[in-house]
Amino acid sequence: MIRLTIDGQEVTVPEGTMIVDAAARLGVDVPVYCYHQALGPLGACRMCLVQVEKMPKLVTGCTTAVTEGMVVHTKGGAVEKGRKGVLEFLLINHPLDCPVCDKGGECYLQDYTFEYGPGRGRFQEPKIQKVKNGPINDLVLIDQERCVLCQRCVRFMGDYVGEEQLLLEGRGVETVVTTVDHQPATSQFTGNVIDLCPVGALLSAPYYHKGRPWNIDRHSTVCPHCPVGCSSLATTRESHIIRLEGRPVPDRDWGWLCDRGRFGYDFGYHADRIADSWVKERATSAAQATRDVAEWMQQTNAQYGPGSIGFVMGGQFTAEEAHLIKKFAHDVAQSDNVAVMRNVRGYLPAALNGTFQDLTEADTVVFVGVDPYEAVPVVHLKLRDRLRHFSQLKVLGVGPRRLTRDTMPGRDYLVASQDEAVFFARALAAAAKDGPGVQTLVDSVRDYVLPVSDADIEAFGQALLDAEHLSLLWDGENAAMAEVLAVLAGLREKPTAVLPTFGPVNWRGYEQAGIDPRYDNVEELLNKTRTGEIRMLVLWGADLTRDLPDRQLAEQALAKADYVVSAQVVPPLDMPYIDALLPVATWGEVEGTYVNMEGRLSIGAAGVQPPGQARPTRTYVANWGRLFRQDFGLDDEWDPFDSAQGDLISRAGNNHGPAQAVPRPGTRDASQEWTIIEGDWVMENGMPSEILEPRETEFVARVSPEDAARLGIGEHGGYVEAQTAGGTVMIGVQADPAIVERTLWIPRGSRHDWAQHLEGLVKLTRPEEVPSV
Amino acid sequence: MSQKYYLLRNREVADIDRMDVYLAHGGYQALKTALTDYKPEELVDLVKKSGLRGRGGAGFPTGMKWGFLPNDGRKRYLVVNSDEAEPGTYKDREIIEKNPHQLVEGIIISSYATKAREAYIYCRGEFLFGAEQLQRAVSEAYAEGFLGENILGSGFSVDLKVYRGAGAYICGEESALLESLEGRRGNPRLKPPFPAIAGLYGGPTVVNNVETITNVPAIVTYGAEWYTSMGTAKSPGVKIFSVSGRVSRPDNYEIPLATPLRSLIDDYAGGVLPGHKIKAVIPGGSSVPLLLPDKLDTPLDYESVLQAGSMLGSGGCIVLDDSVCMVGATARLVKFYREESCGKCTPCREGTYWMTDVLDRIERGQGTEEDLDTLMDIADNIGGKCFCPLGDASLGVLVSAMKFFRDEFEAHVREHACPMGAKLYDTVNH
Repeated sequence: MIRLTIDGQEVTVPEGTMIVDAAARLGVDVPVYCYHQALGPLGACRMCLVQVEKMPKLVTGCTTAVTEGMVVHTKGGAVEKGRKGVLEFLLINHPLDCPVCDKGGECYLQDYTFEYGPGRGRFQEPKIQKVKNGPINDLVLIDQERCVLCQRCVRFMGDYVGEEQLLLEGRGVETVVTTVDHQPATSQFTGNVIDLCPVGALLSAPYYHKGRPWNIDRHSTVCPHCPVGCSSLATTRESHIIRLEGRPVPDRDWGWLCDRGRFGYDFGYHADRIADSWVKERATSAAQATRDVAEWMQQTNAQYGPGSIGFVMGGQFTAEEAHLIKKFAHDVAQSDNVAVMRNVRGYLPAALNGTFQDLTEADTVVFVGVDPYEAVPVVHLKLRDRLRHFSQLKVLGVGPRRLTRDTMPGRDYLVASQDEAVFFARALAAAAKDGPGVQTLVDSVRDYVLPVSDADIEAFGQALLDAEHLSLLWDGENAAMAEVLAVLAGLREKPTAVLPTFGPVNWRGYEQAGIDPRYDNVEELLNKTRTGEIRMLVLWGADLTRDLPDRQLAEQALAKADYVVSAQVVPPLDMPYIDALLPVATWGEVEGTYVNMEGRLSIGAAGVQPPGQARPTRTYVANWGRLFRQDFGLDDEWDPFDSAQGDLISRAGNNHGPAQAVPRPGTRDASQEWTIIEGDWVMENGMPSEILEPRETEFVARVSPEDAARLGIGEHGGYVEAQTAGGTVMIGVQADPAIVERTLWIPRGSRHDWAQHLEGLVKLTRPEEVPSV
Repeated sequence: MSQKYYLLRNREVADIDRMDVYLAHGGYQALKTALTDYKPEELVDLVKKSGLRGRGGAGFPTGMKWGFLPNDGRKRYLVVNSDEAEPGTYKDREIIEKNPHQLVEGIIISSYATKAREAYIYCRGEFLFGAEQLQRAVSEAYAEGFLGENILGSGFSVDLKVYRGAGAYICGEESALLESLEGRRGNPRLKPPFPAIAGLYGGPTVVNNVETITNVPAIVTYGAEWYTSMGTAKSPGVKIFSVSGRVSRPDNYEIPLATPLRSLIDDYAGGVLPGHKIKAVIPGGSSVPLLLPDKLDTPLDYESVLQAGSMLGSGGCIVLDDSVCMVGATARLVKFYREESCGKCTPCREGTYWMTDVLDRIERGQGTEEDLDTLMDIADNIGGKCFCPLGDASLGVLVSAMKFFRDEFEAHVREHACPMGAKLYDTVNH
């Protein structure tokens, strides 16, 4: 630790701390443009000039590390003149178009000029003219005249994300930020440069001229698009969310968002948003629909007794709403058949659930079936951050496709999804054959043939055991992995953290509300529906046809139920089976708690009104309670934070019982030429966005580049014919080097109709005629 | 005037840029001596003893720089800075175009001394002929076995590559040079770490000027005592001065350090043009302050010139006589820095732009009294506040011109025209 004095106050900070950060600890403001803690020092803007005793000149506080006994002055004549000078320089070529600048009022150039700058400028010469409102891509605009050349954006894309798509061009006063070869930046992290830009140079295209600081409201919220649950700020105006910004949390989160999250806020007022109540395919009043549904519930209960109504939670509801559904089901509808919609079979006990802090300390990271870049993009950035600080980070991928990538290099072990648990079990057996539970684990798969050499299996097992701090990301596809992970955590005496990447985004919140989120639970509920034990289904955001891995079960249950009630934001694929479609309030319209993949509780704020007849869950259950003439105690306020430790869910309990054997995977049909694999892709999470349309592709399925070449698929993708057991469908495909040959990757829960009809895929062929897009 | 040349040997020996001629005149003998008679550490000591100082401008002791390399087993690099772009300086150009083998020999010896496995010459983009000459010399040296694996059976190996820059003055700054050499935009790097610790590709790196390295074979041949017999105790040896401006014989002159400035101008460069008087001299390239005629007896060594109020710099001596408009000359030089500012840091990027416009306006007779104060204040806001030395370099001439010749600036303002009638610099901007 280093002790120094800043403006007469003593402070002790770790070695290597820069003066600006040491000053910040004391609450002393040292203005900066180019410096950003996540990006490190650059020393370009010269805004942070401070005086250090015994140094002949002013020094930049962002590039000067503290030393023992250093005496720093951030005030005084020399410093003030230095700052004034720098601000005057920054302003000479800055267009003073603040009145029409989106950043006006939120701008560090304005703030610092007001605080430290000269009252008036002396510059009388012509200003340099540059490009205004040029595109970085469809979502981000650049005004090169307003740019102060702090290079935060360039460094973020190049050094931090590792996708060098922005650069400086020209030199001296003609220098501009632009894209490589003047082509649109394609990274899914480009929107962060808007937040990073200290001035009005990088602007959000969809927010362009949409709001001013005095006519907008900003609400702390969390992004609802994937289980990361990024902390963010929603900007609202006139009952529309018109912007989402990252919200840094000191010492924990830089506030990065992916473009899916940043720009995908418009699903609430998308043309597809359900705003009317539909009963038996006819639009009706909200009151009528509510009455009808209540009547059906009463009728069902009267006829078939308690437990004859099944409730399934999906979507992006808050934990409080899940609690209301659970409570309503139990107290009023007399049913404990409440489940969470799942699209994979895996479940992770909270005891094994790691946090993002584990990623910042990990020396080994294993991707089990998941490519975080696609499924949980900001986790990829968190790992990039780790890689910047710890270049020896070992990255291992286990799954049916390559999961490492150029920006996250590592080693891939290619095994089928159904073999993942076997691979892990055998790796543990090879590296720690006497470990507790290990022999039980491999009991029925000792001779199971894996496509990986014994040496590689053992090396992988050794890597799992040797890791000082092991973090695993798991897609939940292979349910038997839960067993393996528990044994692994028991074997290792060092930190072992698992981060589940599967959805629904708030499943942990639903679990906190008392609903069992395991796949077995929803499967049992639907089996009961199929056999007629449950007569009515209430699907709260759940879309069985889209999400349930067992499509046959979904369809049979839906067909068998007397009544299917579905509360949704956008039309579900279950539509043909639905008796009542209820428009429901969603993220941004209801305040409540979200629990993300690290088990952290965050409050999502309500900033806008739900459109049309859309009602919050609370309104529905309250009305039904009244119609049932039953007082069901909405005043019993349940608080998810009560059982949490701080803002993290409790990791206690879930004691692991004796180890269970990994089940032997069934043999694959050798006659099948193609293997279909699924993966989470945040772009295809089912929430529509007009803003993101330029980023969307019809060609969401992927094949290896070799197969793409054989199928005549061009650079941007194309259509191929898929011959399946059920006939021929046209599917949109593109090439992806992560996919192995003879494998067709499709995004899990794709809303593309054909994605639901690929069972028994025989082969893909080049179509005779390619339909125009 | 007959003299012995140690650096510009092309002046004595015709076609010394050819390998056979260079060999016939003792070429690569120093390399053989170095490899057989010296251990690397002994060579570092030899150069330390010779007192050789960097000829790029800063005058940092070369042997000491070599001694900074950490002994941590990492691969080392030697990079030779041939990005000579300082206005008024053209000494390295003559070496690489006319006597490239002596540089190549110096690089091999220096690589041996610093245990560098890879060496690069970073050649200014505009020096096409120089780069071709260097490339030819390097190829010939490979053919003779002076470069590559196991040089002359010594067990020492080094590879040398010639890299052409894209024409940027800033790449003469060593860290910007390294960025450019690595294929990136030529912007200076944050220091520390210095190149000796983390230079090219993050490895320990020595960056030396062409002239500096060209001295090395001569020092090996003639010894450190010979070198220290010239110049002063702190500034020993010979140096090439590029004389330009209003003199009869503008040219490169290789002279011992501490030769008086007057001698360089009168005895070597043939004196100021007939009928004119010296008004001021820029003794060390366009970045250094002016010296007035009363300082003409200053010995040209690092310490004396500094004491006289300027810097020896790169040895680019620009002589201004009484026909030169100081405002125009200043505007022209400041414009150079505006064009060459890399744009990384605010004061240099914006300040040089602003100063150029103001100076241009004054020169055209459109300046005001306030402009002069503004100009000095802009200079104060640049001075000592930039990321690299380029910003400060843009001020050397300006600040001294405003100090010594403020009346000329005021006359421009008062008379709304250039009193010298100079139209040379009518539109500096755009």
